[in-house]
Amino acid sequence: MNDTSAASILVLFLFNIIVYNIPLLYGTVGEIITEKAGSLNLGVEGTMAVGAMFGYLAGAWTDNILVGLVVSFLTAALCGLLFAVLTVSLQANQNVTGLTITTFGVGLYFFIGKGVGQNWPTMQQAPGLSAAFGEIHIPVLSDLPVVGKVLFSHNPLVYLGLAIAVLAWWYLSCTRMGLKLRAVGENPGAADSVGVNILLYKYLNLMLGSGIMGLGGFYMALNMSGSFEGSNCWVNGYGWIAIALVIFANWNPLYAILGTVVFGFFNTLQVYAGTLASAFPDGLGWLNAVPPHLFKALPFIITAIVLVVSSIRNREGSGQPAALGLNYFREER
Amino acid sequence: MKPKQPLFHVVKRDHVSRGQLVLAYVLAVVIAVAVGAVLLTVMGVPFGAFYQKMFTLGLLDNKFAYKNVENFIKLFVPLLITSLALALAFRMRFWNIGGEGQFTLGALCAGAVAMQLGDSLPRIVVLLLMALAGMLGGGLYGVIAAILKVRYGTNETLLTLMFNYMALYLLAFFGETRGAWNFFLDPQSPRPRFMTFPEGAQMLTIPLGKFSLNVSLLVALALCAGIFVYLKYTKQGYEIAVVGDSPNTAKYAGMKVGAIVIRTVFLSAALIGLAGAFCVSSAGVLSTSLTNDVGWTGIIVAWLAKLNVLGILVASALITVLQYGAQAASVTYSSVDANFADLLQGMILFAVLAADFFTRFKLARSAHSGEVAK
Repeated sequence: MNDTSAASILVLFLFNIIVYNIPLLYGTVGEIITEKAGSLNLGVEGTMAVGAMFGYLAGAWTDNILVGLVVSFLTAALCGLLFAVLTVSLQANQNVTGLTITTFGVGLYFFIGKGVGQNWPTMQQAPGLSAAFGEIHIPVLSDLPVVGKVLFSHNPLVYLGLAIAVLAWWYLSCTRMGLKLRAVGENPGAADSVGVNILLYKYLNLMLGSGIMGLGGFYMALNMSGSFEGSNCWVNGYGWIAIALVIFANWNPLYAILGTVVFGFFNTLQVYAGTLASAFPDGLGWLNAVPPHLFKALPFIITAIVLVVSSIRNREGSGQPAALGLNYFREER
Repeated sequence: MKPKQPLFHVVKRDHVSRGQLVLAYVLAVVIAVAVGAVLLTVMGVPFGAFYQKMFTLGLLDNKFAYKNVENFIKLFVPLLITSLALALAFRMRFWNIGGEGQFTLGALCAGAVAMQLGDSLPRIVVLLLMALAGMLGGGLYGVIAAILKVRYGTNETLLTLMFNYMALYLLAFFGETRGAWNFFLDPQSPRPRFMTFPEGAQMLTIPLGKFSLNVSLLVALALCAGIFVYLKYTKQGYEIAVVGDSPNTAKYAGMKVGAIVIRTVFLSAALIGLAGAFCVSSAGVLSTSLTNDVGWTGIIVAWLAKLNVLGILVASALITVLQYGAQAASVTYSSVDANFADLLQGMILFAVLAADFFTRFKLARSAHSGEVAK
């Protein structure tokens, strides 16, 4: 294989690390906001599936990406509302409620998908939607060699995801609301006693977080060209990886961008290992010998190690909210 | 100015009658089934006929009904044992959501025994060794999280979640990697495929006419009784109850809380491993989708049953009926996916979680500040 095509394979690999894995960023940022409010929502997978299905159908039927975005956000936010009603107001166990949202959401995904059946709208029938999801070429920057392709010629939802991550960081770290939100997640009793409206903060942020997850689901639907299969869900386990990524990113949306690239690297390597090994037989030939399952498992292995090490170091510098997973019952303050 | 006071506030209930509880649960199921009927109607499926097919498990007018019952039991036993086991850990507020991983490791270890010794030892010995290997595999895998939790306060929910995926990919690795060392695979198959267990490693059955009764069902029912007694009448069961109620009380009473947690989680995970061993030995072959999500569904069952042994027996039967029935009905009604069961399951649990609130709490009229002063 000649050098130019080998180089272009490498560029494509790097390009795809971003394209395949931005949904992880959406899921992670959504879950960070949720967890900063003190709630561990294990329903990311189901929430993303709901956002994906309804967002895609709405977007394809109206042939409008904005409608798709809004619908995926709103339907996923409804999942967040459900989670909030059950865990905040009705004091249900967060783990169980989250898992149920996943079971329910994925079940709903297949039920709707299969039910639409013959009338399924394909991406070809929605030219406006396909075009809006197309790659945009940022002038000058996208003409740069390598980085131009890898960083500056993605579809608009890639940049939306990055913008949301940066905004979420700003919201959590630099605004008064963010400060109060973090107080709710650390010590709701104390926050309550200084007059923070716990109910309002929890409800709004759980819905906001879930809505962002839903956008990630919508992205995945478009990235799969909207082709529905009865056996595999579009979200395909990304929701669970996002929960791992929250820990890896130490509950910081900016680190989540970095974490998405790291996890995405392994995710994409598992697909590209063979291609890369044959393009660079001298340097990367060993990739063929590595089982792809290792690449799939690595994000979880790394996260487990991070989790254990940070607990041994006794939460020093850890971003994990102190009241994570605990329900707040005012009478027991 | 008087501070604003809400009209009602929430207080804990001390007591709720069993009748109210059962009523709340029945209502939850009815609501979920009713919403499901609406959804089916929207999809253009006659819900009456669909539900009939579903709740009778496709047994009516079926020449092979006994086969259906056999398959039903194969789904039911792993779920029952897993839910029981999870309830043990949940009773101590140890959130073991690693059932999937412990189940997988149990199945893998049992599978290794089956492939290595299945031909050379008597069947009963092989089956016992498989059960033992499954328990050890699942138990040791689960106890890691317990030790770390006790020693360093590591979040067990998140850690066991990660362990699920590590186990899953380990199983997939054995199922998809060729090599002379990989005794799990069928050497004859052109594509990597798990080899069927030798005859001697397949679960015992008792023939009753055409129907053959899976022995693991009897073991599972015996386990139910055993755990009921264990929780209610033994010292260790009492310790679990105290630790679950308040770790501080347990500490003041001189109990070694850490040791109790580690012991109980080992037991819980070992039983899940046993469920995995039973599952593969009933199936007679490993598969990458062998867990059938019992690690997740078990959590739902345990919670539906309020961690009560008898309740788990009922709830796991109900959930298996939903799953198996939806599968059977979706054969006739192809526009409805077998995942319809998940949808119903989710709605039932939502309703139960909401109903739980009203059994644990009640709304009380707030006293006006003036009255308090008097």
